[in-house]
Amino acid sequence: MRDHADEWARHLDEALVDLGIQPAVAQRLAAESVEEARVSGVAPRDLFGPAVLYARQLQGALLPAESTGSPTASAPGRTLLQLRGVTKRYGRRSVLRGVDLTVRAGEVAAIVGSNGSGKSTLLRICAGLTRASSGEVRRAGRVGYVPQDGGLAELLTAHEHFMLFGALQGMSAGRAVCTGEQLASRLAWRPTRDVLVQHLSGGTRQKLNVVLGEIHRPDLLLLDEPYQGFDHGSYVDFWHQVYGWRDAGAGVVVVTHLMHELDRADHVVELTTGAGE
Amino acid sequence: MSAAARVVTEMTLRELGRRRTVLILLVLLPLSFYLARRDLPGQSLRMLELGLGWAVSTLALFSTVAARDLDQRLRVAGARVRDIALGRLVAVVAIGLVLGVSYAVLVALDQDFHPYDGVLVGLGVVVVVGAPLGMALGAILPKELEGALALMVVLAVQMLADPAELLAKVLPFWAVPEIGYYTVDGAGQDYLWRGVAHAGVSVAVLCTVAAVAAAARLRLVKLPEP
Repeated sequence: MRDHADEWARHLDEALVDLGIQPAVAQRLAAESVEEARVSGVAPRDLFGPAVLYARQLQGALLPAESTGSPTASAPGRTLLQLRGVTKRYGRRSVLRGVDLTVRAGEVAAIVGSNGSGKSTLLRICAGLTRASSGEVRRAGRVGYVPQDGGLAELLTAHEHFMLFGALQGMSAGRAVCTGEQLASRLAWRPTRDVLVQHLSGGTRQKLNVVLGEIHRPDLLLLDEPYQGFDHGSYVDFWHQVYGWRDAGAGVVVVTHLMHELDRADHVVELTTGAGE
Repeated sequence: MSAAARVVTEMTLRELGRRRTVLILLVLLPLSFYLARRDLPGQSLRMLELGLGWAVSTLALFSTVAARDLDQRLRVAGARVRDIALGRLVAVVAIGLVLGVSYAVLVALDQDFHPYDGVLVGLGVVVVVGAPLGMALGAILPKELEGALALMVVLAVQMLADPAELLAKVLPFWAVPEIGYYTVDGAGQDYLWRGVAHAGVSVAVLCTVAAVAAAARLRLVKLPEP
């Protein structure tokens, strides 16, 4: 068991160095990962998966720290989302009119607009939950959807949510909980094992929402004002995280009403009663 | 049953298990039906079975409606409708069977039915019919109140309609009076089998309706690649 853990740590160390992580940092990360698995009572490979793949996850997690404050994305990759002339009507009422947007891997798009301008509807269309009345919607890759509210089970704990969403990707319960806790720590949140969602504060519920949106490592993240209820520190962590996802190669679409974040986004879609980029 | 469906079952059981007041009422509903007609053994058994069917179908209804937002999110994250629906169905049936067995013990201690197998079959039948009935209504009707009223209509008509009439026969709990003739009135085994066959058809129809309604309710728009 110990030999397998050492071998896995060596592979992780090598893979991290190959990915451009400094040798001293790679060595420390490998040692910490093995220790975390030991505390959890499982083999590192069972907890984190293959060393090479986990190295990529760690690299993605490290990027936010390295890109702090940088609004510049790496070169955009393949197209993940393409909207052309998207409209949505409910009866005679037109909610969206002629929305165009293209989001590639490694890009952040911000959706802004007043209340009732169709921001959440647009995100639901991107998620495939609502059908557009006309226009073209194309999407690639796995999607993580974070709704503005709801989407949680009040009488389950955060850890049970991690298990439920992790199971969809074939994760064991232990691995899902560890992954969830890792992702939560990036939002300065340490989930408590036995606290039900109904007893969490509004901001903490939103943090859980964000973690569940990314627990299956989506290529495209759709976030509907997920920072509501966040304190200032968490809010900063959140935007840090958004650009971390971007730098790790994910596409991000985020609904926001905070204008000072817009200069950092690659695309801005402003919705009124009709909309365009 | 897939691993994802098993986890949905486990989480549904945990969540329902934490609804203490609901669980108490779930126990009280069939019990009150039973005690109300305890002076007439045959009627008390029929009322107990219908009360249990009502309790289980209501639990399935509310479980389905309450989880709709979560289920939509699970779908976007990659869950299959059948895993979600099967997971919840198994959880509700499991709770119903625990209740059914408990009431079977109560009846065995409190009444004197020969043959006793009719009691077990009758209680089991209402559980396996009630669960998909509640899920089907929960998937078709989006609001809790609408679903609850629809369920009351189905169950009230089932209780009031003459079992010999067509109206009673097309309703899902017709097996209760049929099996009751065998258990209480000493009718032949053909009544038992007719009841079981009717329950089997009801389960098949209700599961199909619940699956189709859940698929429609949790349908995702197919989006082509860019």
